[in-house]
Amino acid sequence: MHWIRVFAASTVNAAADFAATYTWRTWTFAWLSRIIAQVLFFTLIGTLLGSPDKQRFLLIGATVMAIVAEVLFTCASSTWERRAGTLPLLVASPGDLLAVFAGRSIQWVPSSVATSSVCLLVVGPFFGVHWTWGTALALVPVLVVTAVTTYCFALVAGAFVLNAMDIRNIVANVLGALMTAFCGAVVPVSYWPGWVGQVVTLLPTTHGLRAVRALADGGNPVGGCVAALLTGVLWLVVARLVLHRLAEHGRRDGTIEFGDS
Amino acid sequence: MIDEYAVEITALRRVFATGKGLRKRGPGHVALDGVDLAVRKGEVHGLLGPNGAGKTTLCKILSTVLLPTSGTAKVLGFDVVGQTSRVRESMGIVFGGERGLYGRLTARQNLKFWGALHGLHGKALRTRVDTLLERVGLTGRADDRVEGFSRGMKQRVHLARGLVGDPAVLLLDEPTTGMDPVAAKDFRSLVGELRAENRTVLITTHDMVEAEQVCDRVSLIDAGRILATEPPAALSEWITRFERVDVPAAPAEVVARLRELPGVGSVSTEDGRVRFETTQEGVAAQLVRALVDEGVTSVTTSKPSLEEVYLHVFGHNGMAVRK
Repeated sequence: MHWIRVFAASTVNAAADFAATYTWRTWTFAWLSRIIAQVLFFTLIGTLLGSPDKQRFLLIGATVMAIVAEVLFTCASSTWERRAGTLPLLVASPGDLLAVFAGRSIQWVPSSVATSSVCLLVVGPFFGVHWTWGTALALVPVLVVTAVTTYCFALVAGAFVLNAMDIRNIVANVLGALMTAFCGAVVPVSYWPGWVGQVVTLLPTTHGLRAVRALADGGNPVGGCVAALLTGVLWLVVARLVLHRLAEHGRRDGTIEFGDS
Repeated sequence: MIDEYAVEITALRRVFATGKGLRKRGPGHVALDGVDLAVRKGEVHGLLGPNGAGKTTLCKILSTVLLPTSGTAKVLGFDVVGQTSRVRESMGIVFGGERGLYGRLTARQNLKFWGALHGLHGKALRTRVDTLLERVGLTGRADDRVEGFSRGMKQRVHLARGLVGDPAVLLLDEPTTGMDPVAAKDFRSLVGELRAENRTVLITTHDMVEAEQVCDRVSLIDAGRILATEPPAALSEWITRFERVDVPAAPAEVVARLRELPGVGSVSTEDGRVRFETTQEGVAAQLVRALVDEGVTSVTTSKPSLEEVYLHVFGHNGMAVRK
């Protein structure tokens, strides 16, 4: 229960940061519009290729990659603890670091679910991605699973960049690009050598994307969701280990600064 | 009796590697060099020293965010290396300056967050937060964002945050840094309240007056070593003994004559300004009278800096800010 309470307390910080970043107008007309434009960019490549299947493939892939891009903002928002000077206090507190960091950047999850839902449910039908009431209702939880489990992976990246704040945006962008290339967003995973396919099965996004595609094709998304959840838990454990290592490493080499010093 | 002490430090040493990455080599920088210190339960203990003396390094080790290179440190009998959970449960940390708070949260939200980390929830958390907000005089601003607070108000939130876990031991690292005099005075009275609650307070400062006013005992630290542990009365005596008397201009023969007065330690001249440094209590007043008698009417007296006191008392000049 303590873990959940700390997590919940930390989400208040996430909400405050989100409210400071966006108003409903800027979120709708700036952020959502940007994501739709990005998804359309990829989708129109399929249109130019004259292939409705590729158009659908790219729209779904680009939409899920928009989740990845937003959730990877965790790299930046995790480092806000360091910038605020709260990291030493967190390390010196009896609370669990993972609970704090998991709550700290959670704002990107609902936001990315909202943008991807709009892209798939509103923009999708214009490009051949059609939904019944049933699949539309099922889509949202599938997107939630995809975003949450991808967030678990992003927490690992965020924990790593806590000691390398200068490269936080580079890490987020490189990871986003690699995942776009290899997780089946713009080309099928089968396009790549077999070992690449095996590596990306460790990423929850690969399975989340598979679940979304299955649902859009009228199939069953459960297998993809379960695999995403399992890999998500794996990355959550890794995130905990990395945060623990960060704290212990910082204790050894003195990189956890105190106050303004 | 071991139970008598809230903080026990024995032969504590911390050496930082010099260089970066793979180039970390060489003897390293010694931040703490065999520190021995014992702080009694319920005591307000000052750690007085200049920048770079090792105060913050010592606080970091006690608060479990830094490992010592050697030696031991215990808080309420719990080792800061091997029993971190127990130490963290029993200790509150407050440091000065702007950082360490969530600016976008309100004062109440900040305290609730840190309270949750200390295992508080529900009514107990709300009550504790309300009590602390009232105690630090922020009830009226409890629901305002901290980023809009003055430095003094932020420091009050810091103190409330440090107390939210109801710690038996409180570490205050340069808590009045950047505060205006009124806010600093208020803060010191709050420290007095902590003493009345029988909490152990370890406060680091480079302000002798502050150390004298709030501490039961003061340890003087420099170059990573404890030079002495004194009652605040000793500081008070040093402050009055080593006063300075400045005059913008004075005839050379007057300066030469006053230089010979008993208790005048040194006389220096810079850009025509003359500074007399005294080494005995009451000599500053004698100097002022003598100067006025000689027709020098523009005279200023001031308290000695910590560096000057260290120089006089400990007879070394290793006070430069260290890396």
